[in-house]
Amino acid sequence: MSVQASSAIAENPWLAQSVEIAAVTPELPGVATYHLRFRDAGLNARYRFRPGQFNMLYLPGVGESAISLSAANENSGTWDHTIRVAGNVTRTLAGLGVGGELALRGPYGTCWPLDECAGADVILVAGGIGLAPLRPAIHTCFAERKRFGRTTLLYGARSPDMLLYRRDYDAWTDRGLNLSATVDRSQPGWSGDVGVVPLLVDRLRPLTPANSVMFLCGPEVMMRYNVRSALERGLRRDQIWVSLERNMQCAVGLCGHCQLGPAFVCKDGPIFRYDKIERFLNVEGL
Amino acid sequence: MDVESVVYVLSKLRFSEPLPGSMLVRIAALAEMRGFPAHSILFRENADNDRLMIVAVGRVALDMQVPGRGEVRIMSVGPGDMLAWSALIGEGRMTTSAVALEDTQVVAIRARDALLLCESDPEFGYHLMRQVAQALANRLVATRLQLLDLFAESEPFIRQGPD
Amino acid sequence: MTAGARPRTSPEIETLLLAKTDFQAFLDQLWQGGYRVIGPTIAQQAIVYDEVRRVEDFPRGWTDEQSGGQYRLKRRDDEAWFGFVVGPHSPKRYFFPPQVAVAQADRTATGWQFSEVPDQEPPYALLGVRACELAAIAVQDRTFINEQYVDPIYRRRRERALIVAVNCTQAASTCFCTSMNTGPRCTKGFDLALTELPDSFAVEVGSDRGADVLSTLTTTAASEVELQQAEVARQQAVDQITKRLDTKDIRDLLLGNLEHPRWDEVATRCLSCTNCTMVCPTCFCSSVKEVSDLTGDHVQREREWDTCFNWDFSYMNGGVVRNQIRSRYRQWLTHKLASWIDQFDVSGCVGCGRCITWCPVAIDLTEEVAAIRETPA
Repeated sequence: MSVQASSAIAENPWLAQSVEIAAVTPELPGVATYHLRFRDAGLNARYRFRPGQFNMLYLPGVGESAISLSAANENSGTWDHTIRVAGNVTRTLAGLGVGGELALRGPYGTCWPLDECAGADVILVAGGIGLAPLRPAIHTCFAERKRFGRTTLLYGARSPDMLLYRRDYDAWTDRGLNLSATVDRSQPGWSGDVGVVPLLVDRLRPLTPANSVMFLCGPEVMMRYNVRSALERGLRRDQIWVSLERNMQCAVGLCGHCQLGPAFVCKDGPIFRYDKIERFLNVEGL
Repeated sequence: MDVESVVYVLSKLRFSEPLPGSMLVRIAALAEMRGFPAHSILFRENADNDRLMIVAVGRVALDMQVPGRGEVRIMSVGPGDMLAWSALIGEGRMTTSAVALEDTQVVAIRARDALLLCESDPEFGYHLMRQVAQALANRLVATRLQLLDLFAESEPFIRQGPD
Repeated sequence: MTAGARPRTSPEIETLLLAKTDFQAFLDQLWQGGYRVIGPTIAQQAIVYDEVRRVEDFPRGWTDEQSGGQYRLKRRDDEAWFGFVVGPHSPKRYFFPPQVAVAQADRTATGWQFSEVPDQEPPYALLGVRACELAAIAVQDRTFINEQYVDPIYRRRRERALIVAVNCTQAASTCFCTSMNTGPRCTKGFDLALTELPDSFAVEVGSDRGADVLSTLTTTAASEVELQQAEVARQQAVDQITKRLDTKDIRDLLLGNLEHPRWDEVATRCLSCTNCTMVCPTCFCSSVKEVSDLTGDHVQREREWDTCFNWDFSYMNGGVVRNQIRSRYRQWLTHKLASWIDQFDVSGCVGCGRCITWCPVAIDLTEEVAAIRETPA
């Protein structure tokens, strides 16, 4: 079955490609990163994705789940997916270990528009597990340092023990990332910020609104208030991108489930420029 | 620090930046800069404090004492944020303790004098109270978002049935 | 874009006559040629699509009376073979089947093997396809055979199908194809198009495939009188259409009125029963479920029709986005008449009126649109 050049998308869009779990990195309670490798070595060498895209992971007999790619691991030749147990598929996946077998089709969806942001200050704003789809964007900013201005990460989680990828933070700041982390609930030993992520947007300095872009990923309510803060700080709606979530099943715009207004979140998104999606986001129950 | 310098500080802070320049001078006349080294206490919960504070530099954590749980950290504030609003609104009894997370400088405004000025000059009073209301509104929205616990693990899907 | 029917290049479409007495031979020839012939038949007091082997299988001498929430078959006072309009079935059930395996997985010694499920269906010869249905096929072509992701089952069945259309000679009170520019006259998308006359059918050729099929049948040239008769018969359908949908700026009208009180009002009547989506010839929503054998070593991925009216259609992350009927009805109507235009450059509605007929509480989307148009935001 022929597969498009740099993807694991067959001519038959329902057909997935075999992958195995090369490694599992526990991250948080109920959250782990699965390092997947295609069984077809040629495909594994050819596969490419853009930061922000997602794959459909398939467990035969159980079903599929849409999971964003959280990193490309060049050293180990794996494709990383940070997954939180939330339903049947992810729960079954959590029972698999190294060597476990599943299937994958993708990558799907739009990506963080880093290509259009040369020279800009890149402000990444994430909440909870929303940091996972932004992580490849962080890596791109490091890899192509000279193409971008100041890179900042504003990140919030429920509590200090729920900060995702915490072991990476020192390395990130060493490489020039301005990182502010905040938590909803503090714990002993935490001397960082306490409060919601929009407060970090309120306080962000230095900020050159005219030359900034903002990429947001997290719970929809959180994103809405972050946008509000960003607009108050002088960013425009066409400088802000949001990653949305809806019920994704086919990932190819055929099953109809993921629609938000006229947009198919699986192929017109999940990453949308805010001005293009704002009016539909603001309608309750759309 | 002289009045001019305090005016300058106020003109850069989110809390006071929208106020008319003449107001900043009058506020500065009622205020002084205060420094708090990292880990020092700005004020304690339930204690009386007669200074309304605006953070100029640094970060301050707000804690509440809960029997059985100890000191619970509610929120942290930074440059431009208002502290000790109970000094101006209410009787001056602090609702949280405030601890400097790092070396911090605040503009400390004598609340009693500010209130007298509000009463004798309603326009001044209107502008000041409006800023305080805005700051409290922002604080309320941020607190509500904390309350929503948006990052809590999803509940397992329980069919509640159609409407 | 119509896969399969290669349009004729000649500007002159010659009309030939096929005698009714020769129609059985036509059916026989199709079956012998390997087609599975599908046409209108009567079952469960409705005219539905099913296999047709004999001309006696057609609903000869029957007609349908349709209105909001009402469908009745009645005897005609003639023996017309196609003297009715559309029933609850549409050609979509053949190209986009209600239930079909889209992929399978087999556990082997070397791990899971993933493969397609070969589609075993012979090519269809669809007889009696109406103009609105031709338009609906063209609409679904845009969904299923678009540039990026193609549904292989739809494409295979579509490319191999022979489409023999029938021009309507009457209209139901629920028809509004004229408002959607989709009928009642068949103008494109068919291999052959028939217009019923008392003893014969006037046959127009719409493609090379149609021409090839026709060349194997016994036909005669149509006289001027017969051509006139055919025209009169077709005009009757036009004249009988009473329902209208004002489509002026309909996309902006609906997407600009997402909080209109009419949505609350229709939600007091709509039962969210999903009938409209089941009978609609363009609705395409589906779900895939896993079907294992008892050993768990063989799994089929079965795609089934789904509907945006299902309560948990929009479920995600522990909650349902469209939790209320108001939201679901709004989704269906705005998708069908507005968002579809953004997505596929064409309206999703072909004016067939099925959703009005088969709605148990007779909700009429033309009235809903008119109500919003009357008092827009």
